[in-house]
Amino acid sequence: MLGRLGSFLRAARRRREFEESMAEEVQFHIEAYTDDLVRSGMPPEEAARRARMELGSVDSVKADCRESRGLAALDALVQDLHYALRLLRKNPAFTATALTTLAVCLGANLTIFAVVDSVLLRPLPFPAADRLVRVFNTYPKAGVLDDGMSIANYYGRRGHIAAFSSVAGIRERTAVVGETGSTEREPVAQVSPEFFSTVGLAPVMGRAFTDEETTYQTDGVVVVTDAYWRQHLGADPHVIGRTIRVDGFTKAVVGVLPPEFTFLSSRARLFFPLASSLEQRLPGQRHSGSGAQMIARLRPGTTLAEAQSEVDGHNAVREADDSLGKRMAEAGFRTLVVPLQADHVSKVRPTLLLLQAGVLFLLLIGAVNVANLLLIRAGDRLKEFAVRQALGASRPQVIREVVTETTVLTLLGGLLGLAVGAAGIRLLGVLGAEHLPLGARIVFDARVALAALAGAVVLGLAIAAPIAWYSLRTHATGALHEGGRGGTAGRAATRLRHGFLVAQMALAFVLLSGAGLLALSLERVMALSPGFRPQNILTGQITLPWKTYDKPSARLAFTQRLLDELAHQPGLRAVGVSTNVPLSGRNGMSAATVKGYVVPPEGSLHGHYSYGVGGEYFEALGFALREGRFLGAADSGSAQRVCVVDEDFARHYFPGRSAVGQRLFPGSKEGTDAEAFTIVGVVGPVKQAGLTEDGGPGAVYYPYVYRADNDEIFVVTRTSVAPESLVPSLRSVVRALDPDLPITDIRSMEGRIADSVIVRRSPAVLAALFSAIAVFLTAVGTYGVLSYAVARRRREIGLRMALGARPEQVRGQFLSLALRLLAAGTVLGVLGAWLTGQAMRAILFQVPPVHVATLATAAAIIGVVSLAACLLPSHRAARISPMEALAEE
Amino acid sequence: MPKTAELLPGTLDMLILKAVSLRPLHGYGVLLRIRQISGDALDIPQGSLYPALYRLEHQALIAAEWGQSDNNRRAKYYTLTAAGRRRLRDETEGWNRLASAIATALGTAPEEV
Repeated sequence: MLGRLGSFLRAARRRREFEESMAEEVQFHIEAYTDDLVRSGMPPEEAARRARMELGSVDSVKADCRESRGLAALDALVQDLHYALRLLRKNPAFTATALTTLAVCLGANLTIFAVVDSVLLRPLPFPAADRLVRVFNTYPKAGVLDDGMSIANYYGRRGHIAAFSSVAGIRERTAVVGETGSTEREPVAQVSPEFFSTVGLAPVMGRAFTDEETTYQTDGVVVVTDAYWRQHLGADPHVIGRTIRVDGFTKAVVGVLPPEFTFLSSRARLFFPLASSLEQRLPGQRHSGSGAQMIARLRPGTTLAEAQSEVDGHNAVREADDSLGKRMAEAGFRTLVVPLQADHVSKVRPTLLLLQAGVLFLLLIGAVNVANLLLIRAGDRLKEFAVRQALGASRPQVIREVVTETTVLTLLGGLLGLAVGAAGIRLLGVLGAEHLPLGARIVFDARVALAALAGAVVLGLAIAAPIAWYSLRTHATGALHEGGRGGTAGRAATRLRHGFLVAQMALAFVLLSGAGLLALSLERVMALSPGFRPQNILTGQITLPWKTYDKPSARLAFTQRLLDELAHQPGLRAVGVSTNVPLSGRNGMSAATVKGYVVPPEGSLHGHYSYGVGGEYFEALGFALREGRFLGAADSGSAQRVCVVDEDFARHYFPGRSAVGQRLFPGSKEGTDAEAFTIVGVVGPVKQAGLTEDGGPGAVYYPYVYRADNDEIFVVTRTSVAPESLVPSLRSVVRALDPDLPITDIRSMEGRIADSVIVRRSPAVLAALFSAIAVFLTAVGTYGVLSYAVARRRREIGLRMALGARPEQVRGQFLSLALRLLAAGTVLGVLGAWLTGQAMRAILFQVPPVHVATLATAAAIIGVVSLAACLLPSHRAARISPMEALAEE
Repeated sequence: MPKTAELLPGTLDMLILKAVSLRPLHGYGVLLRIRQISGDALDIPQGSLYPALYRLEHQALIAAEWGQSDNNRRAKYYTLTAAGRRRLRDETEGWNRLASAIATALGTAPEEV
C-alpha cells in the first residue's frame, strides 16, 4: 500500500519526467517493431503503418498507462483545480473579499483554538497524565475552600490509600538564588521524594530526592530543570555534585529534569526536598495547613469515585480519634480528590469555551457572506451549468467541481488565516494570556495549524452544500429558456440568501449582546472599591532567607532599618511592611479564636486572612479607620500583645458591640491570657482575593514581629509623585541594606488591581473585537444581498417606473425588504442572546443574563448598520432609468 | 503463421512476469519473448502490453531501468523484483493446479462417474 502511494507520489511529482519517458518507450516500441518488419521484407512505409496500427492509438495506450499508475484521478483533480483557480482569478474583487473574510474568521478561530487546545485539551506532559489527581482539604462552612494539605496529611496518607499508587506534596515559593552580589529571587518548589515518580518524569541525569533528605538538617540538595541547567550551569555534563547558593545555604545538585518537564503553571526551575520537622508530621497536626498541595497518581483500574470514598474512609477513622474532630466536622471538613488538569483550569474553562463559541459564530457569519457571494455567482452561471448538464456532465461531476472550488477558496483563506492566527497569538500575549493557568504553553504549532486547515476544509464542504444543491436543482430546460433567471430555483435561491442574511444578523446580534454583557461586568467590577486608596502606592516583594534572618528578631530588625531608610527618601509619604498585600494572589487563611466566643449551633470555626504588618502599613495603603487606632511602630517592640481587625471580623464575632478591647488567639484553640491579643482598632475591609470578593471572611492584623515566621515580606509605600519613578530608589535602598536581597515584583497598587481583572478584561476586549468584525461582515452581507436584489430586478423596476411608480416607492420597497429581514434577525437574535446570557451566567458579575439596555443597544447597532448598508443599493434602485433598463435586453 | 490462442483474462501479467524472469527485457522484448516461449502460440494485444507493464511496476513486482538496447538505442528494461518472483511462483502453482484440475475433469470417461 505504502509502496503504491510512494509510486503515485513520485509519479505526481515528476510528472513531466514520467510523460517523457512514457513517450520515449512507446516510440522505441514502434521503431523496433518497424525495424523487425522491414527486416522480414516489408517496405518501410508499410512497416511503420503496421507497427502503429497494431499498437493501437498511442494516446489511449498512454492514458491506460497513466491509469495503471493511479494518475487519472490526479489529472481530474488538477483539471478541477485549474478551473477553480481560473474562476478566482477572473473575479479579483470577489476573491479578495472572500479570502479576507475567511482569513480573518479562520485566523480568529485559530487564535482562540490555540488557547483552548493548550489549556483545556492538550494533556499534561506526563505519562498517563489522566490518572493524576489533586487531593485537598476543604472547610467550606469556615469559609476555607482549599487548604491544600498538611505535612501530617502527607505522612498519614502515604502508602495508606490503596487507590493511589503514589502520593506527593509540592509547595511553591520563592528563594534568593546566587552568590553574594549577584543574587536573584527565583520561583522554586519544595517537593516530596516521590514527586517526580508520581508525575512520571524522573530526572534524566542524577536522581530524585530520598526520604533521608526531608529534614531541615539534610535538605541541602537540589534538582534543576533543563532550562536552569542550560542557562545557569552551562549545560555542564558533570553538574551532579556542583553547588548552588540558595537563601545563603549551599545546595548540591543531585538531578537534572528532562526538557519537557513543567508542572502545571509553575515557573519553578529549582526543586528542593519538602523538608519538615518531626512535630509537623504528628497526626495532631493534620489540620495545620502548610501551603503545600498534594498530588497523587490513581492506581490503574481505579476510578476517581473509588479514590474519593477511600479517602473519606481514611479521614473518618482519624477524625473520630481527634480532639478537634467535632470542630472540623462543623466546619464541613472533607478531603476532595479531583482530576489534576481539569481542576487547575476549571476557573477559565467557561470563559474559554464561550470565547470559542463566540469566535465560531464569527466564522459562521463570515461563511454566510462567502456562501451568499458564491450563490450570486452560481446564479450567474446557471446557464453554463445547464448547458453542461445537457451535454452530459454528471451530477457527481458538478458536485466535484463546486466542492473543489469552495474548498480551494477556504483552504487559501485558511492559509492566510494561519498568518492572522500567528498575529492573533501575539495579541493574546499582549492581553496577558500567559497569566492563564497553563497559559505559558500556548503555542502556534503544527497541531494547531493542521486543525485550522482541517477546519478550512470542513468549511469548504459546508459552503459547497447549498451551492451544489442550487446548481443541481436548476432544471436544464428552465435555465436555458430565460435570461438566466431560473424560475423556481431562482426563488429558492432568494429565500436561501435572505435566510442566510437573517441568520447572520441574529448571530451578530448575539455576539454584540454577549460582548456587551462582558463589558458591563468588567465596568461594574472596576467600579468596586478595593477598600483602600490605590492611587500612588508602590509595592515590592523581598524574601528574607533563613540563613541570615533566622529569628523573628533579626527579621524585625531588618524591617525597622528598611523603614528608617525609606522614611528619609524624598517622594515617600508613608512606608510600611506586611506579610501580604491585597490582590497579591495569596489568599491563604488561618483560624483565630475569640476569647469567650461560643460557636453557635450549626455554626463553625472561621478562617480569616492574617497579616503581620509594620511601620505605617495602614496609612500607606489608605485604610479607613472605623474605631480605635491603627497599629504603630511601637506595637512590634512592646510586651503588650495587640492587634487590629476589620469590620467583617468585628461584625461576625461582636455584632452590635464594640470590638475594641476584646481578646483573641491565633489558631483554633483558646490559649492562656499571656498569649491573647487585645483588639485596639477596627479598620474597613479590603479586597484580598479579588475585587469581586463579597462579605470577605474577615482579617486580623498582627504586629509584624508575631507573624515573622514567613520569609517573604512586601514593602508598601505611599508616594507623593508617580509611583513608577521611585522604583530605582526603592531598589537601591534595599541593596544598600543587604546586597544579597533582591526586591522583585515591584508594581503600583493600581497595576495589581488591573492585573487582578485580566481574566475579565481580556475576554471582554476579545469579544468586543469579534463583535466589531461581526457587525462589519453583516454590513457587507446586507449590502451584497440588497445590491444583488436590485440588480436582478432592474428590468422589473424599470417597467414599474415606466408605468408611473415614483422613486420613493421603489426605494421604500427595498428598505421594507431590509426592515423585514432585520426584524426577523432581531427576533432570532434576542432569542439567541437570551440563551447566551444563560450560558454566561457563571462569568457575569452583577449583570443579569438578560439585560434590556444591552439588548436595545445591540439592536440599535445592528439596525443602524444594516439599514445604512442597504441605503446605497435602494438609492441606486430608485435612480434606475426606465429607458435604459428596458433597452438592455 | 501458426494458429494463435486467445489470451485468458488475468494471464497476461503472469506471462510478463515469466518473460522478465528469464532476463531483463524492454517492452518490445517482452512481446517477442512471450511469442517465442509459447512457441508462437500466444500473441498478446500490443495495446494492453504497456498498461500491464506500468501496473506491474506500480505494484513493485517488476522494476524498470533505462539501458542500451542491442542496436545501441536507449530502452527501458524491466527486471523481476523479489516480490515479483514470489508472485510468479504462486501464480504458476495456482495455474498448474487449475490446469490439472480442468484436464482431469475434462478427461473423465463416462464409466468413471
